[in-house]
Amino acid sequence: MLLPPTDSKIVARRAEIVSALQAIVPDGVVADKSGLATFDSDALSAYHQTPLVCVLPSNREQVSEILKYAQAEGVPIVPRGAGTSLSGGALPRQDGILIGMGRMKRILDIDCENGCVVVEPGVTNLNITKAVEANGFYYAPDPSSQVACTIGGNVAENSGGLHCLKYGLTTNNLLGVTLVLPGGEIVTIGGKSGAQGGLDLLGLVTGSEGLLGIVVEVVVKILRKAPVTRTLMASFDTVSEAGACVAAIIADGVVPAAMEFMDGRAAEAIESYNQPGYPKGAEAILIIDADGVEADVSHAISRVITIVAECGGKTVEATDEKQRTRIWSGRKAAFAAMGKLAPDMICMDGTIPRHALPYVLDEIAKLSEHYGLGFCNVFHAGDGNLHPLIIFDIMKPGEFERAEEFGADILRLCVKVGGVLSGEHGVGVEKRDLMVDMFTTAELEQQGRVKCAFDTKGLFNPGKVFPTLSACVEQGHIHVHGAQLPHPHLPRY
Amino acid sequence: MSKVVNPEQVTDFVRAAREAKSPFEIVAGGTRRSVGKPMNDLPQLDVSGLSGIIKYEPEELIVTAQPSTSLAEITAVLAQKNQRLGFDPADWSRLLGSNGVATLAGAASCDASGSGRLRHGSARDSLLAFQAVNGLGEHFRGGAKVVKNVTGFDLPKLVCGAHGTLCVLTEMTFRVFPKPQFAATLCLSDVTPEIGFAALRKIALSALEPAGLAYLPAAMMPNAGQGAALIKLEGAAKPLEEKLAMAHGLLGNTASRIDEDPFASIGNGEKFADLPGHVWRVMIAPSDAPRVAKELNLQHWLGDWAGGVIWLAASPSDASRIRAIAASFKGQAMLLRAGSDARAALGLYAPQAPALAALGRAVKAAFDPLSLFNPGRL
Repeated sequence: MLLPPTDSKIVARRAEIVSALQAIVPDGVVADKSGLATFDSDALSAYHQTPLVCVLPSNREQVSEILKYAQAEGVPIVPRGAGTSLSGGALPRQDGILIGMGRMKRILDIDCENGCVVVEPGVTNLNITKAVEANGFYYAPDPSSQVACTIGGNVAENSGGLHCLKYGLTTNNLLGVTLVLPGGEIVTIGGKSGAQGGLDLLGLVTGSEGLLGIVVEVVVKILRKAPVTRTLMASFDTVSEAGACVAAIIADGVVPAAMEFMDGRAAEAIESYNQPGYPKGAEAILIIDADGVEADVSHAISRVITIVAECGGKTVEATDEKQRTRIWSGRKAAFAAMGKLAPDMICMDGTIPRHALPYVLDEIAKLSEHYGLGFCNVFHAGDGNLHPLIIFDIMKPGEFERAEEFGADILRLCVKVGGVLSGEHGVGVEKRDLMVDMFTTAELEQQGRVKCAFDTKGLFNPGKVFPTLSACVEQGHIHVHGAQLPHPHLPRY
Repeated sequence: MSKVVNPEQVTDFVRAAREAKSPFEIVAGGTRRSVGKPMNDLPQLDVSGLSGIIKYEPEELIVTAQPSTSLAEITAVLAQKNQRLGFDPADWSRLLGSNGVATLAGAASCDASGSGRLRHGSARDSLLAFQAVNGLGEHFRGGAKVVKNVTGFDLPKLVCGAHGTLCVLTEMTFRVFPKPQFAATLCLSDVTPEIGFAALRKIALSALEPAGLAYLPAAMMPNAGQGAALIKLEGAAKPLEEKLAMAHGLLGNTASRIDEDPFASIGNGEKFADLPGHVWRVMIAPSDAPRVAKELNLQHWLGDWAGGVIWLAASPSDASRIRAIAASFKGQAMLLRAGSDARAALGLYAPQAPALAALGRAVKAAFDPLSLFNPGRL
């Protein structure tokens, strides 16, 4: 995948830009080579670029001043939280200012009475829960990077996790944000009342992948921790049986807190990695959590046990908290376990209609043979979010490129069966060029115009999400001949 | 009035309107036409013919329907599979004095959520995908028909609560959820707003997942002394009984079970239908509810969503006072029912801060640059 071309005129002005930023944030500019190396990629580490400069503001006024400066000087901006994006959302630019939000990490207001917490963007996902768990609350979205990832990054990516079917994504767990717009204006959208008094810009900003502005404050909902959580593990001889079981559970009216699927390859790799006690020889395993008050949980668990048996599976219930943790520790170590099988791995992220699972898994197996690369599948079965892990060796010529093509084919397959390119990792640079497989030209232009409503100069995170540079001046109806892409004179990368 | 029955006709109509630079009002069941600033005598596009369920996939937990499908139809079809819409749509037709048919798109476009918003969120939390025609006369899709999706901008969120100002909808896909087998309501009678709302918040912040939490003062609930706190719980038979017992415990065993379900009429605003004057919905942080009610100092009001919304009926002369109180609590006062002059003067909401208002206008223009759709309504 090509990265956007670097504007050498901006690079030539580096010293001047660095000193301008130092005037705004005297103690927070990283401009030396070794310091910048820390920031040269996010968790999509196959791609890296040294940023022009990195600035670490401590308050919203500094963020606003930085953006006003960048706007006036025409310098691109790349926002960054903890750098855990798996889609390259925080990949820097050689001609752009990287704004790291990690210093703004104060918890401003814990308001259990209203079930909400007001935080700065650099607070980690897990620290929100830690701040309220003594009061019996937690923050529901739980991406697997929750120890490190920040709430600002979660807002940018609309992060998910294991419990989305019941508790939703980030967007369903927010009440408000304060945003600094590309021109430096500070706007507050929503708040503890959750009301916005106009268009739902909170919903638009959430998941906008750093293309619309920089979040400097977030109001998140917190929930009462369920008094009871029980965990079942179900094993099946075939993927089809497991798929049918998932459908039957949903049709029965049970909404599990989590319902995770892993195929035989994933289970085998995990079992040899940290021995969570997964049954040997199963072609598919489901891990199912039910949470809530005792009566609801007992009801759900007894229904699930019955349905699994009817579908030809076998269930084991975790008898205590220790065993529960052990079963989940396996699933959460899926990446690490696969990492032992090969030096490198990429984790894909598409969503499919649940009924398409057996077909999609068969097709992925065929693609694996075609590309000569190993893989396994983990799947948030409750919400249809599929995570194929592709293993390869970057030292072997051509393998990385083959792995990327394999991944792209999987995502096209997801779109073909009625699904999407990304369920929770975002588009970033990783899936940018596949957007044309999911959206028509008119649809991409519609989204491009929304981007322009915030960022008229196109300075925010350019090269992410959209496959062509948006040219805001060309708004209005653009006639497209045949299959020709819009803006043929603009570079595609 | 022009009537359309398929997306192609919508596209043709919008292209012609664009050519003629002729704005229009989008009308389906017509039950919410009196919400927001009046449209005066603009031409109407009648989209009521875009009605009917397109595809219902109970095992995928989604339903796709044409936008003017009636709430009654969709509720009945989902109920056959023991499911319900992902949000609790409110039908304001009785409140607003309409004989029309409340539709899916009307409820979502007006962000009309009933009492169940407390537990299930609002339309924006369950609209997964839509198809529509934008102001350029282009048919486009937003979102996708799966329950978890972060590909591109989340346009379905924007469509909800936009009051038809961004595009003409031609298809909508919603999340659905299992319908609880049983529901029951507890009533804590003869309590002041302070005590009543405190009881509601106690339940709201428990793990009981309540489906409705409202406080009604004496004027709104006869035979309840100073006022009543109402608590609705749901579940399968045995779990529901246990949850009721837990709620009783949390409330100090002072509540009693009532037979009727008062929440449909609360959520639809029917309690205010026969009262004169303006009807407002004031959205606030729930813990402010008793103080907001006290400052409002009105006879006819109630608090739903555990205090997160105060419904009230008031004289037109109270308008600026109500907006000021809402603002002082960092809330939003929505003018839901008023005559057209008052709606034109007051708007649906108070004006936003200038930078936010400018952003809203820019987003509107990104969909509808000539301001063809329901101009000025929001």
